[in-house]
Amino acid sequence: MMTPVYITSTGWHLPGPAISNDQVEVVLGAVNGKPSGLRAQIQKANGIQTRHYGIDANQQTTVSNTQMAVLAGQECMDRAFRPIHQVGMLAVASTQGDHPVPGLASFVQAGLGMAEVEILTAQSICSSSMMALKGAWLALRCDEHEAALVVATEMPSRLLKRQRYEAATESTFAKKTVDFNTEFLRWMLSDGAGALLLETAPRPKGLSFRIDWMKGWSHAHALPTCMSVGSSGKAEEDRTWQDYETYADAERDGALLLRQEVRLLDHIVRLGVDGYVRLVQEGLNVPSEVDHFLCHYSSHHFRPKILDMLDAAGVGIPDEKWWTNLYTRGNTGAASLFIMLDEFVRTQNPKVGERILCFVPESGRFNTTYMHLTVVDSDGR
Amino acid sequence: MDGKIEIDGVPVKEAAEAIGANDVPDLGDVAQDALRRLLRVWIGFERDLVTVPLLRRLDLGTYTLADHRRLLVNLRQQVVEGSRWIARAASSMDRDHSELRSMILRHAVDEHRDYTMLEQDYVNAGGELEAILNRGKNVGSEAFHAFMMQRASQPNPVDMLGAMWIIEGLGERMATGWATRMEELCEREGITRFMTYHGANDDDHMQRFYAMLDEVCVDVHVVERIEMTAKVVARLYRLQLEELEDE
Repeated sequence: MMTPVYITSTGWHLPGPAISNDQVEVVLGAVNGKPSGLRAQIQKANGIQTRHYGIDANQQTTVSNTQMAVLAGQECMDRAFRPIHQVGMLAVASTQGDHPVPGLASFVQAGLGMAEVEILTAQSICSSSMMALKGAWLALRCDEHEAALVVATEMPSRLLKRQRYEAATESTFAKKTVDFNTEFLRWMLSDGAGALLLETAPRPKGLSFRIDWMKGWSHAHALPTCMSVGSSGKAEEDRTWQDYETYADAERDGALLLRQEVRLLDHIVRLGVDGYVRLVQEGLNVPSEVDHFLCHYSSHHFRPKILDMLDAAGVGIPDEKWWTNLYTRGNTGAASLFIMLDEFVRTQNPKVGERILCFVPESGRFNTTYMHLTVVDSDGR
Repeated sequence: MDGKIEIDGVPVKEAAEAIGANDVPDLGDVAQDALRRLLRVWIGFERDLVTVPLLRRLDLGTYTLADHRRLLVNLRQQVVEGSRWIARAASSMDRDHSELRSMILRHAVDEHRDYTMLEQDYVNAGGELEAILNRGKNVGSEAFHAFMMQRASQPNPVDMLGAMWIIEGLGERMATGWATRMEELCEREGITRFMTYHGANDDDHMQRFYAMLDEVCVDVHVVERIEMTAKVVARLYRLQLEELEDE
């Protein structure tokens, strides 16, 4: 019998004021002084109304990725009954830390002043949060630690500010009138951090989430890269950023721009459905017993036909069970699910015994991750 | 905005109803199991199609008119023989499966001459009619056709539903995903009418398909057989697209 593990506290940090759609380009900057022709269209499609950035309207950094993670971690620990010196492990996830090396967990550990803890850094895109969480969950299940702090933090604004695009003078972005693939994520992503405290006992007062299972499937063996930084996006170019003579060459060629191959994006929804049905077949996912579905899904303005098929196949989740705060807090990538869980527990009044299914897809190279939680009281019931 | 999902200010549930998304067929448990399996086979098929070199060129934007002619030449040989296995499957259905037989026959009527459309697309893409008429099947088409004829020859081959699931799904994918992109990259119109024609037919087919699935799925053995046929068809169809011979 493995040790049960609970999420006993949550916290977040969203930097600066909430930024409305028409202010986004003020913060990120208009590339070469020219307003984007795609911004309004992409914002309408993703439905996000407000988000936060760790840079100001002069594109100057106001808070680092490390600092956001530390602030979220502190808020989480402020709400916890366990003091931070009794937390044995720190797992941190992000798409990109402040330094390429060493791993972000070292910096966050220093910021939080956690002495002699075991650390884990997970680096990918959205699903890196689930990778860090799974590492920490398993460590507690195996009695390696009694408590672990898991922080997911994301700061894409520094990749998306106008200066990045202006410096890419020989990129596809500079050459085309419209470069949808390179501009798409500029109007999708924003900054923020979320933190979860895991313990082997529920919190003594109030509610905790028991983690029942976590699963993930990656499809990189079959599908090409869909979301990335590090290559120019030119069909004939196979160098990645460090293969250029200088980093300046790489930047000029657009190899440091964040890019999404939009044509491949449909696959992430379908593969998400595949994993979901697979979990039904394996008996882990019982949709009729799910009370809340928390899904890191960045656009709900279209309803893919495949969701109708899930209904036909008897495993759909009714719309009223879906819950997200993406539209007000922004798409914060890896941090998104933790930020969602934090607001959910504080505002949605979950009841003991309710079951929560979480889904975090990552389009990078098509990773799909799932988690099942049960709301429990201080006795773990 | 308290976290509830809205589309342009309308809660998602109402919005879904407005677009008719809630028109869900009422399938029995066994048919639902079959549909779940078929969904997974389809998603895997679609994912793996991305690895087919010719289709990858669609994503990369390097697909040319010569690629298109090559695709049509290779597809035609299977399509032209498609009506044979459809007719065979229909005649293998006994009186207890007459509804299914009717559905298959309707399907045969819909499709048994559509290779002429494909041939015309080929000519419009700059090919010689003689060249497409006088080709044999490629390695994948040969295997695909042989398997279909073998299954269709079994008594009451209800697993052909698994084959139709993949083939119809592909028809829709061609119509909605490939055709426009192909015409755009080849900078020529009138070369994908075979593909768009298939997609246009499919909404009706879907409802009929659900009804048939519900009727034939009496136990898990049937479901397993349908799933297996869908898997083999998916693999052989991809093989056909991987084994493209030159024009």
